[in-house]
Amino acid sequence: MEYKLRKAEPRDVSDILRLVKELAKYEEMENQVTLTEKDLLEDGFGDTPFYHCIIAEIQGESSSDDLKVVGFAMYYFTYDPWVGKQLYLEDFYVTEEYRGLGIGSDILRHLSDLAMKTRCNGMMFVVAENNESSIQFYKRRGAEDLSQEEGWRLYRFGKDSLVKMASPSEE
Amino acid sequence: MDFSIRAANVEDCKDIARMITELAEYEKVTDQVKITQRDLEQDGFSKNPFFHGIIAEVPEQHKSKEGDGKTPTRYSTRQMQVFGCETAVASDKKWLYLCFLGKGIGKALMSKVAQLGLAAGCHQLNFTVLDWNKSSVDFYLHQGCTDVTTDMGYHYMSCKGEAMEHLAQP
Repeated sequence: MEYKLRKAEPRDVSDILRLVKELAKYEEMENQVTLTEKDLLEDGFGDTPFYHCIIAEIQGESSSDDLKVVGFAMYYFTYDPWVGKQLYLEDFYVTEEYRGLGIGSDILRHLSDLAMKTRCNGMMFVVAENNESSIQFYKRRGAEDLSQEEGWRLYRFGKDSLVKMASPSEE
Repeated sequence: MDFSIRAANVEDCKDIARMITELAEYEKVTDQVKITQRDLEQDGFSKNPFFHGIIAEVPEQHKSKEGDGKTPTRYSTRQMQVFGCETAVASDKKWLYLCFLGKGIGKALMSKVAQLGLAAGCHQLNFTVLDWNKSSVDFYLHQGCTDVTTDMGYHYMSCKGEAMEHLAQP
């Protein structure tokens, strides 16, 4: 089956949101997706994009069928004070029925190539430890688990804590 | 103690580079620091910056006269990267000269980062900490953060160097 990888465009936001929700469902956290198509449009295609996206598209069975978006990767550039630019892979997903065709590998190859061209030191991403198939997918390709190997832990301040921290001290 | 917090500018890159090295010494990973002052200038202060920084400064009269002879007039840096998707603000690495700990400067820097993040419409602040770095972990937990690695099993992974070059091959 033929597929094509391309940069996402504003018209893709509805498919991007659909796939974001499919991935969240796979991770059993679908109810945590509060993002809207409007957010995706403003945040990805305004003057200062907060993310970039690659889309995987396939042609339907007959030439009169519409193209169908079956996979995506959402990424942005971040910065490590020790080594500089990094590519952060935020979401990466191929719809179940289209897995095993090499789309995921191709997306990763495309991102690695982009990371090299933009002189990024590496690609960073977060994986849930119970997501064995994804962990193996990445480790087979040379990824390191920094949490396990170097003791890095991911911490988070939620909105309430941010609001509290942003207020002047009452002490 | 008087101190002020402001946005970093290109002239701060020399101090930022110095503090990054010192933080790496504290984290016992100096051999991993490849970044130079020039990298910081190009990557942080050109048309499309890859990071933003805020600086905490003390006035001249509080300069340290002891220790290793360094006289810091500026002594803290926080890099903030703005993430998309969940519109999370992530920050990495914070350094306070040991002689200035306990003066509320760390809290003030965190407060500023939180203000900047909220103003930009962010809902979360994500960052990483080494598990043995107890004083930092305690500081952050005291401010109300959660350990996502423990709570949700999220592992921080990386693909770099030869592995990344190999992946990029057709």
